[in-house]
Amino acid sequence: MLDRLYQKVILEHNKAPNNFGSMADATHSARGTDALCGDDIQMWLRVTERTIEKAQFSGEACAVTKACASMLTEWLEGRGVDEILPAFEAFQALMDDADRPPVEALGQLNHLRSVGAFPARRANAYLPWKTVLEAMQIPSGLT
Amino acid sequence: MTAERADKDVRGLDVEAIRREFPILQRRVHDKPLVYLDNAATCQRPRQVIEAIDGYYRDYNANVHRGVHQLSVEASEAFEAARAGLARFLNAPSDREIVFTRGVTESVNLVANSFVRPTLSAGDEILITHMEHHANLVPWQMLCEHTGATLKVIPMDGNGELLLDQVSELINERTKLVGVVHVSNALGTVNPVADICQIAKDRGVPVLVDGAQATPHLNVDVQALNCDFYCVSGHKMYGPTGIGALWARAAHLEAMPPWQGGGEMIEHVTLDKTTFNEIPHKFEAGTPHIAGAIGLKAAIDFLDDWGIEAIAEHEQRLLAYTTERLSAFEGLRIIGQARAKGPVVSFVMEGAHANDIGTIVDHFGVALRTGHHCAMPAMQFFDVPATARVSFAAYNTLEEVEAFVAALERAQGMLKQ
Repeated sequence: MLDRLYQKVILEHNKAPNNFGSMADATHSARGTDALCGDDIQMWLRVTERTIEKAQFSGEACAVTKACASMLTEWLEGRGVDEILPAFEAFQALMDDADRPPVEALGQLNHLRSVGAFPARRANAYLPWKTVLEAMQIPSGLT
Repeated sequence: MTAERADKDVRGLDVEAIRREFPILQRRVHDKPLVYLDNAATCQRPRQVIEAIDGYYRDYNANVHRGVHQLSVEASEAFEAARAGLARFLNAPSDREIVFTRGVTESVNLVANSFVRPTLSAGDEILITHMEHHANLVPWQMLCEHTGATLKVIPMDGNGELLLDQVSELINERTKLVGVVHVSNALGTVNPVADICQIAKDRGVPVLVDGAQATPHLNVDVQALNCDFYCVSGHKMYGPTGIGALWARAAHLEAMPPWQGGGEMIEHVTLDKTTFNEIPHKFEAGTPHIAGAIGLKAAIDFLDDWGIEAIAEHEQRLLAYTTERLSAFEGLRIIGQARAKGPVVSFVMEGAHANDIGTIVDHFGVALRTGHHCAMPAMQFFDVPATARVSFAAYNTLEEVEAFVAALERAQGMLKQ
């Protein structure tokens, strides 16, 4: 089970995350923190006409949060703003049911479904999503 | 020093016999023996505490101080015996000086609201330390916010020791109270509380001590410390959750108005007016946590039976051995290296976030704490978002330290991949 959480692809994203660093020409940005565990990230988006042209993240976080943020920024590029919330809901549903088949639209984010077996760590996988939704001022329904 | 050699030094405390008193130590976690190293968050309960609580509910459950019937008499006697036990444990001059609360947090809030608030004005000052647990920080911030008073802080150095020479300068005629943690939960530092009390008393300023992490490891003597308020949490010292106490000088308690109103704390009530009960009851509104107090008494008996000095000696050996073993890790930094420490080791490791360390070692049966330990300003001082922390109790062993070290090696290897 531990090997599934810390699988190669997650560890690689943790060690060398994609789209890492702040964005000077971001149109939307928000800070996401989980004070309890010490995660503190900033999600950066450049949005034109309801389409995300570019997404980046910066900050300090655990492997799960960093891997999720890295994968999510890749996933976001070229997506419509309205696609984010349905995708996050599908992502949460994956966490709740390990037997559910992968959701094609989520791409490599499916790797993170192994986090579902670690209830104490789910918040880490949700943080980048919640922060992006906050940047776009879309209510996530999560506290 | 190997575990085997260090074990030969162990004298005085029969740790294996102690372990048999803790039923939970038999359980397995992720199919590994439980190695419980999160004692500073809450420690486990010995059989005698569990049985004392069970015995109350099974045999003499009744409300206290209210009935003439036999069960109520027995419950009241056990409840008051717990108060007397705690008074003796802290070397308090009188049982009347022990107020039962839910724990340190409630004790501090009681003092903030009932002792400090009535006389606090804008411009007055409260002095605390940089390493306070939020329990002894947030109530003062709230009070200062409300009244316009100022919260000042005794600074610390890079080892996590208070800069004692600054205390005198930080106290002035506007200082209404000094609040200090006896043993830091995040850093382990044992603060020179008696010295701080001496400096404050010379200036006529009362001192409150957060004793949450001290009572399980130190012989606490409130008269020798010469403090004014001492706050205790039961669950940090082998007792139940939800019960704790405030020790305060009788003169303070007499002068303080009640904080919460209700039953138990009254002497006489008409629809127009209430006169209050005598101390300590005027601060114990409502039915108290009777089972909790009885369980706490059993926890004090446990500490007395095995001897707090023998327990502390054993824990200090675990602390020294762990510090030595962790020092060999590449990229590991121990946060808090005071000369006098309680059995707590906080650390950060390069390339391994505390949260990931916690998850991985958990799968080897090792329970440790990760995060800010409710002491965020201390974390900010050391410029770390979070640490991993191991903390020891009487039942921990050198073999458990080895199991933790082996699990930590696995975590480091795994996250380095």
